[in-house]
Amino acid sequence: MSHYRRHPGQTAFMAVGLLTGVALWLSVQLINDHAEASYGEADQLLGAESAFWIRSKQGKGIALEDYINLRLHGFTEVYPVIETRVITTDGKVIPIIATDLLALPLDAYGGNGTANSPLAGNTWLQFIQPGYQSWYSIDLAKRLGLAEGDEVALANGRKMPPALIQSRQQQGLRAFLDIGAAFSVLSEERFSYLAVTSLDPAKQKILESLLPAGLMLVKNEQVLDLTQLTESLHTHLTAMGLLSFAVGLFIVFNAVRFSLLTRQGTFNTLRELGVSVQMISAAVILETLAWSLLGTISGVLVGYLLSGILLPTVAGSLQSLYGAIVETDIQLSLRQLLLAWLMTLFGLVFALAGPLWSRLRMNVIDGRSNSVLWSQDERARTQMMWASWVMGLLAVGAFFRIETVVHGFVTLALILFSVAFLLPAIIQHVIRGAQGILPESSWKWRWATSDAFAQLPQLRIALMALLLTLTANIGVTMLVGSFRDALSNWLELRLSADIYLQNDAVTETSITALNVMGWHVASHQRIGVSTRWLDRPARVQGVDVDAPDITGIELVEQTSSGFVSWNSNAKSPIDPQPILANEQVKHLGHVNLGDVINLAVSGKDYHYEIVGFFHDYGTPYYRFYLPYQIVKDRWQNVRSEGLALWVTSEGVEDAEKSLLEVGAEPGEWIRQSDIKRVSLEIFDRTFQITAALNSLTLIVAGVALLAALLAIHQQRLPEYAHWHSLGVTFREWLTLVAIPLTLMVLVTGMLAIPLGWVLSWMLVYKLNVVAFGWTMPLVWSWPPVVQLFFVTACVVAAAMAVVALQVRKRLPDAIKQLGGVGL
Amino acid sequence: MLKLSKLSKTFSQPGDDVRVLDGVDFHLSPAKSAALLGESGSGKSTLLHLITGLDKPDSGDIIFNGDVVTDFDEKQWNRIRRTELSLIFQQYHLIPTLNVLDNIQLQARLADSVDLALLDHLMSRLGLTTLGSRLPHQLSGGQQQRVAIARSLLHKPKLVLADEPTGNLDGETSKTVIQLLIELTRETGSGLLVVTHSEDMANHMDSRWRLDRGRLIKQPAVNVAE
Repeated sequence: MSHYRRHPGQTAFMAVGLLTGVALWLSVQLINDHAEASYGEADQLLGAESAFWIRSKQGKGIALEDYINLRLHGFTEVYPVIETRVITTDGKVIPIIATDLLALPLDAYGGNGTANSPLAGNTWLQFIQPGYQSWYSIDLAKRLGLAEGDEVALANGRKMPPALIQSRQQQGLRAFLDIGAAFSVLSEERFSYLAVTSLDPAKQKILESLLPAGLMLVKNEQVLDLTQLTESLHTHLTAMGLLSFAVGLFIVFNAVRFSLLTRQGTFNTLRELGVSVQMISAAVILETLAWSLLGTISGVLVGYLLSGILLPTVAGSLQSLYGAIVETDIQLSLRQLLLAWLMTLFGLVFALAGPLWSRLRMNVIDGRSNSVLWSQDERARTQMMWASWVMGLLAVGAFFRIETVVHGFVTLALILFSVAFLLPAIIQHVIRGAQGILPESSWKWRWATSDAFAQLPQLRIALMALLLTLTANIGVTMLVGSFRDALSNWLELRLSADIYLQNDAVTETSITALNVMGWHVASHQRIGVSTRWLDRPARVQGVDVDAPDITGIELVEQTSSGFVSWNSNAKSPIDPQPILANEQVKHLGHVNLGDVINLAVSGKDYHYEIVGFFHDYGTPYYRFYLPYQIVKDRWQNVRSEGLALWVTSEGVEDAEKSLLEVGAEPGEWIRQSDIKRVSLEIFDRTFQITAALNSLTLIVAGVALLAALLAIHQQRLPEYAHWHSLGVTFREWLTLVAIPLTLMVLVTGMLAIPLGWVLSWMLVYKLNVVAFGWTMPLVWSWPPVVQLFFVTACVVAAAMAVVALQVRKRLPDAIKQLGGVGL
Repeated sequence: MLKLSKLSKTFSQPGDDVRVLDGVDFHLSPAKSAALLGESGSGKSTLLHLITGLDKPDSGDIIFNGDVVTDFDEKQWNRIRRTELSLIFQQYHLIPTLNVLDNIQLQARLADSVDLALLDHLMSRLGLTTLGSRLPHQLSGGQQQRVAIARSLLHKPKLVLADEPTGNLDGETSKTVIQLLIELTRETGSGLLVVTHSEDMANHMDSRWRLDRGRLIKQPAVNVAE
């Protein structure tokens, strides 16, 4: 370790490499573990387990008297829940969850009594007494810009109770209210559903017999669903974590190589003095162990902090996309610590093994010979090229067998590393080509291009890291850009109505009756039912086949008579009934056009022929569209999914007045522009983590490049001193070393463009399909690529500037050593 | 061509200052050769660095081609090093990525004075004609030093300075290389100053000088049959 004490620069690179790799990987690992643990608690409500739910078949919620009736029959296992969203006066959406704390069954908390429940501590008294309190998690309060005691004004003219900023188990990014407070905030005194803790079969039967006709008892299968739905997202996160770890390893690899190179003389002297290769290896391995401990400790500390910063974003996405509630307090376990240490050790050994082996197997004389190092490098380039071909062939084989996300990522890794391993050979050929073109008179250019061969051996790993980083940046940016474009266009089509109303009392008829001002253009009352199909959650929606958003639907593909046959049989049930399905049905359910599927209702089979597939971006479940009447007739437990209204261009305000007249309250409807804004906000928040990781990997690649450049130029100082003695000026030196660097970075960048395109193509058309079941058009956009190249050029220029300053500082000493004699 | 007058240089070291050169006087005429002898650490390389402007003297003057160049700035020294001087080192210092032909022409190209006839002549005299496309690591030590010699002469410098030029070569090769160096500098009209430990090599030069405790003392001439 004394070597690192004497070389603080190398210590810094080693530390930065380990810190970055371990911290980024661990933070993603912590988030994944934490989210997955949260799904295990998904059947709990604020810590109370619920095995069943009582829901309205019509989706109209549950009346107060039905709940009281069940309690009067001794069902203390039943407690009420309201889950809804309210809109603030400035258009922000606050998800809220409310229950009756005093009705929460104590046995629902297991052996800990009230210790886990919201009744722990003494803050709950103010929470349940009029005046009330709204409990916000720290992250939600931050997002809404709330301070303690703030009363948020709502669009319906009411106010949220005073804010108390504290988080409760399974509260997530929702405001927690007492049921009384929720009633005062909302217009209607109805519960969303009743939760029921565990019931024995006998009691379950009694409960079912007591339920009024409009209610049903359903089993809570949220844990299973969440684990299944989010699996792909977590695989994606794991892949990003591993990519970060790999990029961190590149720095470590460079640092290790550099440190071994600097110590080659010492190793040779030790071997000349009779110290065995085994003993030197043992010393280096001991040093590695020490580094692994240091790397783990610092990486865990930073990773823990980083996961705390990133988790709210991931939690927000999980809540928006899957309805999964993930707490934002992360716990670090001994298992994770041990895993982090093992990963660090593995990374270090992986980075160390090759360079150490090649240094120590060299005989002592050869170890000092430049020509041996050169021919060794040429051998390494050839070996890498062969490895590249092998990986390329494996990638081609794997490409045709992608069935799971893991297969997809393995194929992707094979493609990326195959090209990365080929990079040194490609650079070599480009330089040879450039030298062949340059005329004899351009000797300075020929000298400069040839200097690439002096830099390449040390620079190749850093250039490979840069290639992977640029590729990942381009690929992911194209993916996100394409997704945003597709989502935005799709929202435009899907949300073509101007107003969306969620009030079951207001019907299409009552609205049109009040249309005296002539604002009404069209309306669409939609109903739906949640079910399960092929072991995944599914939604069947009953739609008006003539509504503007349905007639304008863009189908990804359809049978020859697809939409027409679906539309023309809207009111006449046939067997099989034509049905439209989202792309997820095709890709995840492996169903093709013309296939007949079965959707059973209460034990009775109904057959449907798939006549078309529609885009359904970001939806994790299967969705089917059937004509309104078919759904209404076949399913008993359908729920209203609101009313969409198309109004004249100046009629929005008149329409809102009419809505008030028919009994709707402000906050029960939302304008199209607000939904789009919120949807895109959720989208941008979801991909914040991607952008952050993109920037981080670019910084890491920059550090790797800087480490390699410093190593090269420190090693070449005697050479530069000689150039100086030939009369080469500092500016000429800079030109001579910067031209090949620019050329190599340019080749790397040029290669990253097609590779980035391949990456985004694979992500969109292979991985996304396997993982989420939908595709989208891939949109190539040059401005982000140009911007990325500009940033890269700045990073390379900054690294070169640091190197130039170092060389300028150290050159006088090197000049004094010219000729190898001190004085 | 080269005249040193009362040249002094002191290096500061922890606890003590070391006066490496103490009022050194020296003179070398065009096409003449001189050997600079001395123990290790006696200041031979320092003297070479001062003559080439890679280091500055504390006092005294360096007169080159009739000009006092002692206080020349970096730009002026660069011009002199490119066009009128050349250095040969024990480690050859060839550019590893350039082939033999490009290495030989390097300094002449920097000085913008490539003479193709002289190039052919030097390559032929030094036995390098068939090695033009090879890279330095594909050559033996003796061949690499010949390339360094060719490079140092192609731009027709006024003065060639060689620091232990045969230190890495065996006895027989050393003799051949030094003989060629002397002959070729005479042919091109360049002065030659060789730093060496070897009395035998010094005996081939027109004059011999010994650096001892900072003083440069001219040695009696030795008659060597060429």
